[in-house]
Amino acid sequence: MTVADVFGTLELCAVEVAISMSLDSAFQYAAQLEDPIRADLVESHRRSWARLAESGTWWTGPERIAIAAASRAAIDCALCRERKEALSPFSVTGAHDGVSGGGSEGLVPEAAIDAAHRIVTDASRLSGTWVEGLAEQGVSDAHYVELLSVVVSVRSIDAFHRAMGLPLEPLPEPTPGGCEPTRRRPPTAEKTDAFVAMLPSRKPPGEDADLFPGPAPYVIRAMSLVPDAVRWLKDLSGAHYLSMEAGQMFDFANGRGPLSRAQTELIAGRVSAVNECFY
Amino acid sequence: MLRASIETQGEEVDLRGLTDGKAAGESSISGAAALVDFVEATLGGNADEIAAARDLVRSELGSEALVDAAAVIGNFERMVRIADGTGIPLDAAVNVATEEIRSELGIDAFASEERKSEVATWQRLMARAIDPLAKIGLRWQGRRASR
Repeated sequence: MTVADVFGTLELCAVEVAISMSLDSAFQYAAQLEDPIRADLVESHRRSWARLAESGTWWTGPERIAIAAASRAAIDCALCRERKEALSPFSVTGAHDGVSGGGSEGLVPEAAIDAAHRIVTDASRLSGTWVEGLAEQGVSDAHYVELLSVVVSVRSIDAFHRAMGLPLEPLPEPTPGGCEPTRRRPPTAEKTDAFVAMLPSRKPPGEDADLFPGPAPYVIRAMSLVPDAVRWLKDLSGAHYLSMEAGQMFDFANGRGPLSRAQTELIAGRVSAVNECFY
Repeated sequence: MLRASIETQGEEVDLRGLTDGKAAGESSISGAAALVDFVEATLGGNADEIAAARDLVRSELGSEALVDAAAVIGNFERMVRIADGTGIPLDAAVNVATEEIRSELGIDAFASEERKSEVATWQRLMARAIDPLAKIGLRWQGRRASR
């Protein structure tokens, strides 16, 4: 009798999450910094690395790590620099630098590597037509949303490290014997007014009910085609910014710690402006 | 969000620091120039510039605030890419409430701004009617928090 016979597929994955959660040696900030790093930040970053190493809904653990590696390579990519300067980002073709690395060449479609690079270096000029075109190259809309969640999660943790003068945390090893992606698409997801399908604004039914309690803004629903991407987002946002569940978002008079809410929003707004994001 | 948080303090709202980093020094927000400098250095500076910006935030606002500021930078490096990567439009209420500000600050020139929807005249009129009430509500929230 195997473990899978006892626990079933879902539970087996849960066991593997528990194993990969033993990333206690990652994010050892206390040994590198005198500035006090909140414990919830460390824990959220470790959970992120555990999630990254696991199979997701559409990509396997090794594929997710290959995507993460590609997103890091984008920072110094000559093709991305050339595209950024071009009038249209779709007018410049070529090969990305450091496409995969770490022995992961060919693990994910070239279109996925290209998407990871574009999200990091030129996100404000992505388009719905481009996202639709990815499907013909082996990256469905759901694959794309999960890829996006991997790229932005790694990017946010890397940005924290850069700001604090820390070296980048080495990417995790894939969880051994990781389970197969579930490829579950929420039945109520529909494409309306974004590049990708999303859950409607009302509280989701069934196993996705934890994602949001009721009318939710677009930014919470944006990645809801892959519910675990929203769960990852909520985890990191709760540590980096404000809890999406505790009503902190609508308390404009108080910050969560030493920064006032106005100081927090000034940083948020300036990051958005530098990235030329109007949202 | 920034405008709302400033209005809870009953202060004059000056958002120029969002799109013009040099204007942050005139902001009523404590440490605004240091925070904006920290953002700009992190997103576009070299290691020495980031270290200098970090030292300034630490000296003006303290170590814990520095860590939180770095975390907020990380957060929005994520959020902007989610918004741009999924092509979500502005929520209707935000679209209406920020129409003038976006124009004043030049945010309308951003490529991603093409995703905004047009604000109808009735929405604009309703926003003007609600705005004074919203300000009163935010100041009440600020007074309540300071008790």
